[in-house]
Amino acid sequence: MRIAVVLGFLLLGAYLIAVLEAWLATGRLRLAAPGWAAMALLGRESVVPRQPDRLFFETAPVLLLIAALLAAAVLPLAPGLFITNLATGALFVNAALAYVLVALLMAGWGPDGAYALIGGWRFLGQLIAYSMLIVMPITAVAMRAESLLTTDIVASQAGLWNILYQPLGFVLFFLAAMGVAFLPPFDLPSAEGELAGGVTGEYTGVRLAVFRLGRLVLVITLSAATVVFYLGGWLGPVLPPWAWSAVKILAVSAAMLSIGHYLPRIREAHLLAWCWKLGIPLALLNIFIVGILVLVWP
Amino acid sequence: MNNALEQYGLLLGLAVGTVGLVLSLYATARALGKTRREPGKDVPATSGRLARDPVWVRYHARYYGYALLFLAFDMEMAYMYPWAVVYRKEGLVALLDMGVFLAILFLGLLYGWSQGALRRQ
Repeated sequence: MRIAVVLGFLLLGAYLIAVLEAWLATGRLRLAAPGWAAMALLGRESVVPRQPDRLFFETAPVLLLIAALLAAAVLPLAPGLFITNLATGALFVNAALAYVLVALLMAGWGPDGAYALIGGWRFLGQLIAYSMLIVMPITAVAMRAESLLTTDIVASQAGLWNILYQPLGFVLFFLAAMGVAFLPPFDLPSAEGELAGGVTGEYTGVRLAVFRLGRLVLVITLSAATVVFYLGGWLGPVLPPWAWSAVKILAVSAAMLSIGHYLPRIREAHLLAWCWKLGIPLALLNIFIVGILVLVWP
Repeated sequence: MNNALEQYGLLLGLAVGTVGLVLSLYATARALGKTRREPGKDVPATSGRLARDPVWVRYHARYYGYALLFLAFDMEMAYMYPWAVVYRKEGLVALLDMGVFLAILFLGLLYGWSQGALRRQ
């Protein structure tokens, strides 16, 4: 029952994100748009390119969806409302998100197409850029909570949310999360108009539908992770806990989507340089500041 | 112990269930219609021409300098998580211990930077 509720939450979230995405792209708010798009994709031909690496080509969309769902499985939406409450939850989120890279590399390699392959390799570079900015801020969050349990992490923010306790970590994590979900301006692997769709370019029909679903769930998962780690999870006055989670998650994903709408795509070399020359020193500084804060004023 | 195994079992079930969902979607699409075989349809997007060479020989991973540094940092993060959990209990000693470790790593980053590792090769 609990699991069904969480999965229903994720699906509903994915639907709302799809509505928002279509709204931003077309300028018209159509609530039925994702439904029509999904049905159209189901009815369309799903072409397999010639000489594919069949195993990689077929695995990639499924793996993206599984990675996003597994990461979401350890994030609580309310007290008692989670799929599992692993003792190593915060670490497990990282482990699951690592498979996003594997999925996109497979999607790049599988079809044996030039643009797809460039997209896949680009995402490997993107991982090298964003990965530390996911891992290091989470470390600082775990330092305050003294636990990797995601429920403990939320409970540790009862006095003051982490967005105020460690704002630097929040900014880095938020941007890096956009990088994981390859949302604009970090949509290097799929770059429309530059790589003809990149890793998603060779997917059509039902396979593309699964790929898109995986991406939507990934956006929801990363918003949920941001909320759990920095925005106090289900904590909040008046409204019931699940409602707070839902509102915060939707607000964060709306922010992620709309920020990218107004920014040009960043170049890979620039992304790497910014992340390593500014991001990682700042992330280390964040760990140091939180280290002192935790000892002085928990 | 049993509890942890149960949780991992649940996660495995979630993964298997997802595969089942995707397979049923594929079956639905298959029931709606098959892909017609037509010449030239299965050519990957290459701006209208067939690629002459195998596509995988072309990409130069220009970020390999970062990739080497990334290995060092990624290893280090494996130590950070257990440290973070016991951090408050250990207090100032833990901060100094990890501070020395991170300082050495950060110097490594600065050294790599000075030697041009953080550059598009």
